[in-house]
Amino acid sequence: MFTVFLPLYMVREYAMKWPLLIPIALYCFGSFLRPLFAVAVFAELVYLGWRGADLGRLPLIGPHDTLIFFSASIGVMGLPLVFSRALRNEVTFRWASGFTAGIFALLALRFPAFTMPLPPVLRTYWFEGHVALAFFAYALFCIGAILGLLFIFGKRRILLDFQYRVILVGYTFFSLSMISGGIWGYYAWGTYWLWTPKELWTSILWLFYSLWLHLRLKGPEWDRAISWGAVAGFAITLFTYLGVSMLMKSSHSF
Amino acid sequence: MIQKLYDKLASLNLALWLMAGVTLLLGVGSFAIGPEETARLNSMPLFTWLTEAPPATGWWLWLTIALLAVLALNTVLCSIESLRQKAGRPGLLLRLAPQVMHAGFLLIVLAHLVSSVGGFKEAIQVGEGSVISFPKGQVQFERLDAEMGVRGYVTDFSATVTATDGRRSVIRPNEPLFFQGAGIYLKQVEPFPRAVGLVEIHREPGAGLALLGSLLFTIGNVVVVLQRRQDKL
Repeated sequence: MFTVFLPLYMVREYAMKWPLLIPIALYCFGSFLRPLFAVAVFAELVYLGWRGADLGRLPLIGPHDTLIFFSASIGVMGLPLVFSRALRNEVTFRWASGFTAGIFALLALRFPAFTMPLPPVLRTYWFEGHVALAFFAYALFCIGAILGLLFIFGKRRILLDFQYRVILVGYTFFSLSMISGGIWGYYAWGTYWLWTPKELWTSILWLFYSLWLHLRLKGPEWDRAISWGAVAGFAITLFTYLGVSMLMKSSHSF
Repeated sequence: MIQKLYDKLASLNLALWLMAGVTLLLGVGSFAIGPEETARLNSMPLFTWLTEAPPATGWWLWLTIALLAVLALNTVLCSIESLRQKAGRPGLLLRLAPQVMHAGFLLIVLAHLVSSVGGFKEAIQVGEGSVISFPKGQVQFERLDAEMGVRGYVTDFSATVTATDGRRSVIRPNEPLFFQGAGIYLKQVEPFPRAVGLVEIHREPGAGLALLGSLLFTIGNVVVVLQRRQDKL
């Protein structure tokens, strides 16, 4: 029985996921061209919309959906910069942002696309807002890290100015995500704070970017350290998102 | 001497070191504390756990609290200094946005402190007809309902309760009942063989302060973002 149904299940799995190959290919091989970058973002949003329509909610549960949401967030958040006048000639920025989005979408293919109904405690807009805002923030932290690396190797001051704005908006999204998570926690569990590894790492990430924003006040001699700081911040972001879920036991695990 | 100490306590460098210290300690703590100890910590207010836990388990939290206390003082002094410098300059209200964020942060820290001292949590199993008594009244569980999915597991559940103040409410996940300063949360309902529910009673005295702090922080943060948007690149 198992041997009969397993191939059928796998066929269905891949049939559902194959449209994702289009944005992945465009991101990885075409994002140095602005129109292709935009088409990749559009194609990924179509996939997300299709998943959402299938599930009847925002696709924010499980590694497959969250990786796609993260990847699409990088694309969406990167789009205004890609088309901005100041970064018009930054081909490397375009390609690096697109490639990173493509890699996370590619990673999503490894995981099954769950179609289970949500547990009752997750059926609230506070939860959807909390998770969506966190991924918008993660995406902006990712773009901040890319801009930091480009500054380290290219020394164009404008990249640092954009990096500051991008991370400041990311920090705002992340703070709002923590606040909406606290409100949801208060209504769902009776407390706005639980001592779990995910919450500790969320606080670490928030504190790190608070530190980063204050470090900028030290002046231009700290530019290089600030750029590396944004790269370190993205490493902490990835650990908070993926590392904690995979390596530590937490109520926030996928 | 006192001026020197004040300057040090109000300095940006101290703020940076303290934030780095708290970040590091929380990171170490996340690996040092095991799942069992985490569950124990979540079942009681922080300070109760800290006084009961052996120093080898709770040292990082004691240190974090100590650093946070100095960081709070640093935030207050830094904000006072900033206000002094900005006083009388045009657009003062807009220039105060970072200080509004600081005030929000301080309120959130204070909220955690209040909840860590005066919080209360208790789990109770209830059936239809069960009564939970409070100092000045009672809440009675009239009905427990559970919806079953096609795969045989519970997909939704609720409880109909009546309080002595006359309120009749339905509580379910994300929709608790607030009664006499406490929240009554329905965690689970098992419909068979006889309907039973798991209820938790929570008192989180810092919640209001945390919300106020969050609001202030958000307002300040949004104003800072809008100000930076106007800066020319």
